[in-house]
Amino acid sequence: MPSTSLALTPGLSSFLKSLKSNPIDTSIENLISLLKRRQICHSRASATATAYLLRSVVSLCRTSESSKLIERVQSVGRRLMAAQPREMVVGNIVRRVLGLIRDEAEDDREAEFALSESESQPQTPRAFDDASLPLDRDSLALGSERSTRPPLTSMFSLLSHPEPEASLPSTPGSQSPGGHNNFTKDLRAEVLEGINEIIDELGQVDEQISNYALEHIHSNEIILTHTSSTTVQKFLLRAATKRKFTVIHAESYPNNHEVTHATVSGNRGDDDDLLSFESFQKPLIAHGITVILIPDSAVFALMSRVNKVILGTHSVLANGGLVAAAGTRVIARAAKVHQTPVVVVSGVYKLSPVYPFDFDSLIEYGDASKVLPYEDGDLVEQIDVQNPLYDYVPAELVDLYITNLGGHAPSYLYRIVSDHYRKEDISF
Amino acid sequence: MATTTESTPAAGAKPFDIVATYNELLRSDPDLTMPIAAIEALVLLLTHSPSSTISETLDLLAQSTAHLKKAIPNPIGLSAGTDLFQRYLITTLQRPGQLGPAGDFKAIRTHLLSNGRLFIRRAKESREKIVAFGRGFIRDGCTVLTNGGSRAVASLLQKAADEEGGPSAVRFRVIYVLSSISKNIEEPSGEPEGMETVRALRAKGVPVSTIPESAVAYALGKADMVIVGAEGVVENGGIVSRMGTYQIGLLAKAIGKPFYCVAESHKFVRLYPLGQYDLPIEQHVIDFKSEEDITEQNEQPVDTSADRPIELPLCDSVDFTPPHLISALITDSGVLTPSAVSEELIKIWF
Repeated sequence: MPSTSLALTPGLSSFLKSLKSNPIDTSIENLISLLKRRQICHSRASATATAYLLRSVVSLCRTSESSKLIERVQSVGRRLMAAQPREMVVGNIVRRVLGLIRDEAEDDREAEFALSESESQPQTPRAFDDASLPLDRDSLALGSERSTRPPLTSMFSLLSHPEPEASLPSTPGSQSPGGHNNFTKDLRAEVLEGINEIIDELGQVDEQISNYALEHIHSNEIILTHTSSTTVQKFLLRAATKRKFTVIHAESYPNNHEVTHATVSGNRGDDDDLLSFESFQKPLIAHGITVILIPDSAVFALMSRVNKVILGTHSVLANGGLVAAAGTRVIARAAKVHQTPVVVVSGVYKLSPVYPFDFDSLIEYGDASKVLPYEDGDLVEQIDVQNPLYDYVPAELVDLYITNLGGHAPSYLYRIVSDHYRKEDISF
Repeated sequence: MATTTESTPAAGAKPFDIVATYNELLRSDPDLTMPIAAIEALVLLLTHSPSSTISETLDLLAQSTAHLKKAIPNPIGLSAGTDLFQRYLITTLQRPGQLGPAGDFKAIRTHLLSNGRLFIRRAKESREKIVAFGRGFIRDGCTVLTNGGSRAVASLLQKAADEEGGPSAVRFRVIYVLSSISKNIEEPSGEPEGMETVRALRAKGVPVSTIPESAVAYALGKADMVIVGAEGVVENGGIVSRMGTYQIGLLAKAIGKPFYCVAESHKFVRLYPLGQYDLPIEQHVIDFKSEEDITEQNEQPVDTSADRPIELPLCDSVDFTPPHLISALITDSGVLTPSAVSEELIKIWF
């Protein structure tokens, strides 16, 4: 594909290209407008764009203090999230970067305290004030404990030492002067390295998930899937290399049916910049898999024959529920009625710490002309046409989540959330 | 929450009576929860005891805790507090540092004694934190069904009602399930538990409807969610709460409404009840009687010997709501799924 044509259509690849040449503020504005106009709208495209943008933000942020860096990332993150609040992966990536900075800052502080502690054992007063010394010791004890086991915040916070805030890295300005500059430089380098790891993870996530395919798809099974999710396709393709099975593919009219048809037939249009990475892939039929394309309305009728439902998702919420393409809930419900297991494949980056207080607010509405074209002008004037893009699927309709970390029950997702995001970043 | 205000038999010739102290604490501050009152009583106990070694103190604590649990008809709530206190002492003593075994035992004692008030303040602050986490649940136009006299629920609802921006910033309605059994035994016609909250909410401009327990199934269709309080949150994520909560949970599940529980994390208790009749308390809710039994009972004088287990009065009876009925727990450590409770407990016990 010629690179000139790519630069003309605004999207992920054009954004990534411009990131190097444009000043950072222009890039931020650029991404905000791309998100607002839904020119970047896939979970992974949004996540990748956010990660690359934050990498530039961090590398260009010439500060020596972690708190300034956190502030900067927070302010950029807030603007990105406000641009498209329903694209939860943006917030997830921002939170992970914030967590990275906090972790690194804490490691450094700990190392420094350990150093100063061992030095100051014989003669007590040093650069610190006498009064602040016991406090620092306490925070050290807390900090080292945190690194070895889960933080003892919850219930013990009631009884613990007078100032629990002292354990938080709230006052980086009061650090001891020695060795200050070199480790903050390290801090930024390490954060950048961490962001690179996140970017790598985004690239590898489908591959990692597909490694679990053979454990879940067995010979001669009938698998039902929905939408053209690349994660699901890779998952099925991996299984197809070893086993023969049947795939029933619901077409997900009206938002995704063209792409779904292309996925099934194997000639994907290369207009979509996300899918262009995958367009070299052989379709399932090339591996000798029987693929049956059905309209969404036939899902219930066929469900009794299906052995397993495998679904992709837009984002996963902390309570185990998920926001996925419209029609997913119908499929999950039908599967429940027939006691068919529902497996959701999703990268960890889609897992959001947000609790869905209001399900309706999560649903995004799309172009109504896909349901009823404007050529039918008479009808458009008389009726209200709606085209919801997403469905909220409650946790009890899902049996298993497969992420790049393995398989998890929906009730276990809170644990993965607490592993990936810091509590102080959940609502910033 | 059940605040047993009945006077309990004085604990022998002890100079410091932990039971009386506990009851007095609960009486003196209506905002105090049972676990916190228990912790407070234990701190006061340490003040009065001359113990100077660790094992002596732990021994004293264990004894007093057992005594306190025996003397109170429903020790589920308070045992959360005593367990937490005991574990806190042990972990602090094991931890390297100033307050550890190497340090002076007096230091930890002074710390505990000097910060007694602080614990209570923090416990009350945890309610504020819950409000912050739970604020998102109450939205414009929604109807909340609740029951009992939980202070956490009351503060959550009241906070939602008086958010900044004039009277009742969030326009929500409340259906309050009132128990038919009066809270006050001396005055059977007295007002049921929760009336105070109802009045406070109405004063803030929130439309409140009060319904009897028998109307829950009827009223649930009009409600968007159920929010209840809890006396204790057990290990599997279920809750021990005011009698009637279980049936609301079952009905909410059947009708498909979310069922949320509001509880401070110091109410997490290490219990694993397998069912309704597996709670470590004596309550005679179901009491089979024939005509013969009734006449017999009337003839016999009431047995007041001390070794008889104390029964829970009917108005304070509790039931157990299993975790699969609970959508989420709103606690001061965030909005948790029931399965997250065991992890929180593991953090303090192991």
